[in-house]
Amino acid sequence: MSVTKIFFNARLKIMMVLACVAGGIIALRLIDIQVLRHQAYLQMAERNRTQIIYQTAPRGRVFTSDGVAVATNAPSFSFYYLGVGNTDPAYLERLAHDFAPHLKMDPQAILSQLEKGVKTGKAILLAENLSTKSTVALQELQLYYPGVYLIEETKRTYPYGGFASHLLGYIGSMTEREWRNRDMRLGYRLNSKIGKNGIEKKFEKELKGTDGGVYLEVDYRGRVKSIIQDKKWAAGSDVYLTLDFKLQQAAEEGLKKSKTGRGAAVALDPRTGAVLAMASAPAYNPNIFVQYSDEENPQQSKKIDEYNLAIQGTYPPASTFKIITAAAALEYGHLDVNHKINCPGHYDSGPRIFKCWGTHGPVDLFDGMSNSCDVYFYQVAAQTGSAAIEKIQRKFMFGRQTGIDLPGEKAGNLYGPTRRARNKTYWFIGDTLNLSIGQGELLVTPLKLAQFAAAIASRGNVYRPYYVDKIVSNQTGRTEKIGKTEILQKADLKPETYDLLFKALKHTVEGGTAARVRIKGLDVYGKTGTAQNPHGADHGWFMAFAGREGEEPSIALAVFVEFGEGGSSAAGPIARAMLEAYFDIAKPTVSSATATAAADQPTAAAVSTLSANERSAEDYEELLANGEEDGSL
Amino acid sequence: MAAFKNFPRHSGRSRLDYILLGAMIALVVLGALCVMSAVNSLSFSNPVVRTHLVALPIGAFAFFVGWSFNYQIFDEQWKFLYGFILALLIGVLLFGSYQRGSRSWFVLPFFSMQPSEICRVCTILVAAAYLDRRGRRIRDVSTLFGLGILLAPIFGLIMMQPDFSSVVVTFPAVLILLFCTGVNVFYLGLIGLLAGVAGIFTVGWTYIYLHPELTDYWIVNAFYQLAHSPWYMLGFSVLVILGGYAAWWFFKQLRIFLPSFYFVLATLVVLAGLFGGIFVDHQMKPHQRKRVETFLAPRSDPQGAGYNVLQAQIAMGAGGILGTGLFSGTQSRLGFVPEKHTDFILAVVGEELGLWGTLLVLGLYLLILWRIIVVAYSASDRYGYLVCSGIFGMFFTYMLVNFGMLIGIVPVAGIPLPFISYGGSNLVASLWALGVVQSVYARRIRA
Repeated sequence: MSVTKIFFNARLKIMMVLACVAGGIIALRLIDIQVLRHQAYLQMAERNRTQIIYQTAPRGRVFTSDGVAVATNAPSFSFYYLGVGNTDPAYLERLAHDFAPHLKMDPQAILSQLEKGVKTGKAILLAENLSTKSTVALQELQLYYPGVYLIEETKRTYPYGGFASHLLGYIGSMTEREWRNRDMRLGYRLNSKIGKNGIEKKFEKELKGTDGGVYLEVDYRGRVKSIIQDKKWAAGSDVYLTLDFKLQQAAEEGLKKSKTGRGAAVALDPRTGAVLAMASAPAYNPNIFVQYSDEENPQQSKKIDEYNLAIQGTYPPASTFKIITAAAALEYGHLDVNHKINCPGHYDSGPRIFKCWGTHGPVDLFDGMSNSCDVYFYQVAAQTGSAAIEKIQRKFMFGRQTGIDLPGEKAGNLYGPTRRARNKTYWFIGDTLNLSIGQGELLVTPLKLAQFAAAIASRGNVYRPYYVDKIVSNQTGRTEKIGKTEILQKADLKPETYDLLFKALKHTVEGGTAARVRIKGLDVYGKTGTAQNPHGADHGWFMAFAGREGEEPSIALAVFVEFGEGGSSAAGPIARAMLEAYFDIAKPTVSSATATAAADQPTAAAVSTLSANERSAEDYEELLANGEEDGSL
Repeated sequence: MAAFKNFPRHSGRSRLDYILLGAMIALVVLGALCVMSAVNSLSFSNPVVRTHLVALPIGAFAFFVGWSFNYQIFDEQWKFLYGFILALLIGVLLFGSYQRGSRSWFVLPFFSMQPSEICRVCTILVAAAYLDRRGRRIRDVSTLFGLGILLAPIFGLIMMQPDFSSVVVTFPAVLILLFCTGVNVFYLGLIGLLAGVAGIFTVGWTYIYLHPELTDYWIVNAFYQLAHSPWYMLGFSVLVILGGYAAWWFFKQLRIFLPSFYFVLATLVVLAGLFGGIFVDHQMKPHQRKRVETFLAPRSDPQGAGYNVLQAQIAMGAGGILGTGLFSGTQSRLGFVPEKHTDFILAVVGEELGLWGTLLVLGLYLLILWRIIVVAYSASDRYGYLVCSGIFGMFFTYMLVNFGMLIGIVPVAGIPLPFISYGGSNLVASLWALGVVQSVYARRIRA
């Protein structure tokens, strides 16, 4: 027993305590790693061991309301080398040599890629985005060269080229910023294409779908060990637009063929506010962003005209605004519609003389409207007052955005004495007269004018236009209704006012400046306009709404041709083509040919003095000689 | 700590500590399974598995040898043991095969062995014998110098291989042995200071070496020049000596009378630390510098040097609480964990057996350590006590370094985990060491 005294037991105890403390710390850290951070480490382990050869899911298609797919997918192939099997250099050289012409690549480049694959044992992407044309040959070659794989993918394609390109948008590779802000849940990859504009961008989440892929188990050097899973993709949801295919096409073709090829045409359904057509020229072909890599690829400029004139271009509405003036006079001015006002070709406002574009003699409201007589409206506006006109403008929400779900919409500009007063400047009689014929500081977008047309046609419903009807999931078949009729404001004019406006506009089509859109079997109401442009040729406007005979109007449209010079001559044919397309009326038969001819000839009794030439120059004369002096433009 | 009060000093007539034996067997079995799993093969023809399975009976034999031999023979014949160590180490330098940058293997026709493993245990036996012989002069500083002179050739020879990691384990074991022997703690502190100074200089220089842009600062540059320019070294030495003298003078002025001997010693130790650091710095190989770097900033280069530790931690973390099951851990099976059957075998345990597996290993280790201490208490003579302390120190260091490396509190040192890791020599040496402990237990104090 006494022997133990020479030992230093206490120190051994201290060591044991130290060991226990160390063990405790280690245990805590183990719990930290293995329990608390388990999920994170598990993910890292999974990422370590899996290599995924992705298959891009087909994007959802985009349909027009009549079921035409305007954005769809074409098969495309990616070409992989898995780096397993025969790795003989001679074999690789032969492989590279045989495949090079089909991949449109340099054999040396392929060979260096293959060698990299062999060295690292990793799956190497040799080429992507191959067209079906070359894959037929590649598939055959694949049989002779084990180790190469064709992965089927899909590629966005727009079968009708520039069809509604400003609405559809386009897709493209992600920018660094988009990559940083990407939605993590959607599983984007660095080379994923993302919607860049329009519907492609707005409904990116719905359209994208879930990428599939071949999940390979790889070891620490990336060598493929086994295939864990072959996950099939899930296609994105389909988007249904409210556009009418033929109508849209007619609008686009018309704009393309117009005098300057620049302009916009918008058609709305006055019963719902749905956009039936929205064309903007010049358009672009979104296909240039998604071309096959092996196709002959003329180095096209990827610079495109993204400017959507229909919502971003603002112009004075010109004579189409006379509807507002008339409405104001009817509503607040106790206008006697049958009272004739003499048009001597000019109007003396006191300080200045305002010219009319012609000499119309005595005209009442209907003739004034149909001839677009400036003097009549000067007189009416002077009697009614500019405040009333501004009030009507506000009722139709001029100077406000239409609220369509598109980025970059311009609001235009409301013009009137209160607005002027807010700017602490003065309002002159000349301003009232300018305003009455839609000149001056007044600015609208083509969409705004279409919205106005729809509001008149629906007797006061100022709609928020919508262009996406529904989204149909390809997985569940579930339909999600997107577009809803939304009345922003009710322009509550007296019913008689609308009746008279309808009558006046119909009169304009039947025997006036808008005679170009007179179509048998339809009730068409219309108004032309020519916006003076101090910097060049005038802009042509055409605003119309129509329905089948005896029915309520089912389409309201506004056509705008930049520098088109005449409202009737430039924009009229486009409006006519659109109406014909929409109501499915056969192209110029004899009767419609005469109808066209009738528009060009002074058959309408009420405007007997007008010749065709004069008519096309009609709105040109509306130009106020003093517009520039006024500083209002 | 009730265990310490009631340990069976007198009771029982067993010649074998069954708890120690059981823990040992459990670890060895677990280790064999994990090695099999780690090398991704159930086939017994795999060279690694085969070697391990061959090493097991040899280790069992070594255990029985250690147990049945009276441990006091090492005390008596320590000079022969010392000669044996030197002979082995010189032999391996002359005849050993050169593998992976060091000459530390004997390659024999049927098997190869690593003599430094067996030497590690022998070194402890020799050191214990020397300290036992010092008797009551154990607290003298001469004991330390004597031990230092005794062990210097062993460490020198091991460093010549070079087998840095072997020194890393043996040195703390000897320190723990010294502590348990009852050496003056001041001297141990000095040794610690020496190691600390050398370590700080080494780590600092390594860090600067890896970040050359830091030398733009004059103080960093001066620090760095200390390792390379004799003038800087001389200047620093003079400063240290002056500092030592100043401290002595200062304490004298304060009327705190410490033996001036202490100041001389402290000054010498700092200087020794400096030159030791310079020596180590010049000996270090790039991969070792990289390891220090990895320890300093583990996430700085996940694809490079930090890769190993990160992958091992991923493996353990992926295991979670229950683990993925034996033979099905992806991290180890697909080769992401490096050295998975040797130094990083714990990662395999952690991944495939989960937290329970790692805690089991940890618990068994603590059990073994506790039993060794119990045996040390019951030893019938001082030599037995010292041997147990040394072996305790050895296993404690192993546990600390291996676990610590995995959980990121110790630099990667290339140290296996005895009983679990693959490595015949290590297994045999470790089992022999526990056999010696059992031998001490078998010859414990009886009533």
